[in-house]
Amino acid sequence: MLEIKDVHKSFGKNEILKGVSLKIDKGDVVVILGPSGSGKTTLLRIINFLERADKGHAIFDDTDVNLKTASKKQIHRIRQKVAFIFQNYNLFHNKTALENVTEGLIIGRKVPKKEAVEMGKNALDKVGLSEKYHAYPSELSGGQQQRVGIARAVALNPDIILFDEPTSALDPEWVGEVLNVMKTIAKEGTTMLVVTHEMSFAKDVANKVIFMDGGVIVEEGTPKGIFTNPKEDRTRQFLRRVLPEDYMVYI
Amino acid sequence: MSETFDIHFLIQTFFVALSGVPTALIVTIVSLIVALPLGFLLALTRINRIPVLQWFSQVYVSFIRGTPVIVQIFIVYSSVPLFLTSLFKFYHVSVDVYKINPIWYAFIVFGLNSTALMIEVFRSAISTVSKGQLEAAYSVGLTNLQAFRRIIIPQTLVVALPNICTVTINLIKATSLGYAMSLQEITLKAKVAANANYNYVEAYIDIFLVYLMLCSLVEYLFKRYEKHLRKYKTVAA
Repeated sequence: MLEIKDVHKSFGKNEILKGVSLKIDKGDVVVILGPSGSGKTTLLRIINFLERADKGHAIFDDTDVNLKTASKKQIHRIRQKVAFIFQNYNLFHNKTALENVTEGLIIGRKVPKKEAVEMGKNALDKVGLSEKYHAYPSELSGGQQQRVGIARAVALNPDIILFDEPTSALDPEWVGEVLNVMKTIAKEGTTMLVVTHEMSFAKDVANKVIFMDGGVIVEEGTPKGIFTNPKEDRTRQFLRRVLPEDYMVYI
Repeated sequence: MSETFDIHFLIQTFFVALSGVPTALIVTIVSLIVALPLGFLLALTRINRIPVLQWFSQVYVSFIRGTPVIVQIFIVYSSVPLFLTSLFKFYHVSVDVYKINPIWYAFIVFGLNSTALMIEVFRSAISTVSKGQLEAAYSVGLTNLQAFRRIIIPQTLVVALPNICTVTINLIKATSLGYAMSLQEITLKAKVAANANYNYVEAYIDIFLVYLMLCSLVEYLFKRYEKHLRKYKTVAA
């Protein structure tokens, strides 16, 4: 469904991505792990054209798009298929929860307003915010804001949703509710590409785990394979650092 | 100076001064219509570091801010007619440059002047709206223009409004300098009325009151509008 080929990106002299390729099938939940600075977030941003690659291709279904030179029209078409969840939620502060969700439908996709409101309410119901349609972001907790962010993405009915560390900015007490929502939409068959440090999510929900370090994909496989039997030294070192000592045994 | 305080003249001239309000307001409004969008765009060139344009707006701001309005008026009012005369001569246009209504020069001076101030107002206001919201707008399929019109500008306005109010009020007061180019505004009209019998004290009191009323009204309207725009910030973040 989505294939990324040979993505390169530098910021100044700092080479962040050194040729990354990956393939995602419909219904896949792919988790990217890796130490900070390994290029995970940059890769996600490049797929949604929030950042321009220096080189690389994306193949959506059968359309091949150059990630460096794509036209505005191509970018617009890809953004119709790809939704993005931000680490800092990035809700529109001058819009209510419901308006945040319907904005992309009404303005971006030209859905009639009445229909869009219906879709928006459904999406908010799905993330458990039926009570908060008309609340402004400043009236919501971090966890609620991120759930609105997820509803905003889900309502667009995209082919794939990209999650950029969706729980990293949250207070620990809100992490659980956001992960639960993510689990729910994963179970519904949503294709997801998730950058996260939540190992439990990778272990329980993902069907594929990718380990990135230093701008390359070091290793990829099933969660079980990566967590119990990592083949690369770098993966093993990373997991030893981030997992509790006896964690690997229980997977 | 007149020897007695003339109440009758005071009241009469109050209405003379009042009759200058439309001119002052037209100059203010036209200047703002020029300055608000232009200031916003030039502020963006500085925030996004657009080559040449950001340099231009930086120099522009320091030139305008670094010189008194009255000097700007003198320069525009003396140089533009010269320029126009030679231009009209060259193209054989038979228009008497010295019959052009001074209000056009006022538009130029105060428009250019307010633009510089607005660049600074918007530069600080835009940077308070997180760039992430712009990215989020792109990611849900909004175009650049839609994202600015629906997400960034409404929030920028709320932050900028108190400063826009200050600029507007300063602008209204600055139109009093229009007397230097015989602009028929509040100050000039009252002063001309006072010339006959030297009732300057009365005239100045009238001018004082008219500006005070005008500015208070404008300030009140801005406050109302700010309250209206601010509805989404009722709860502290």
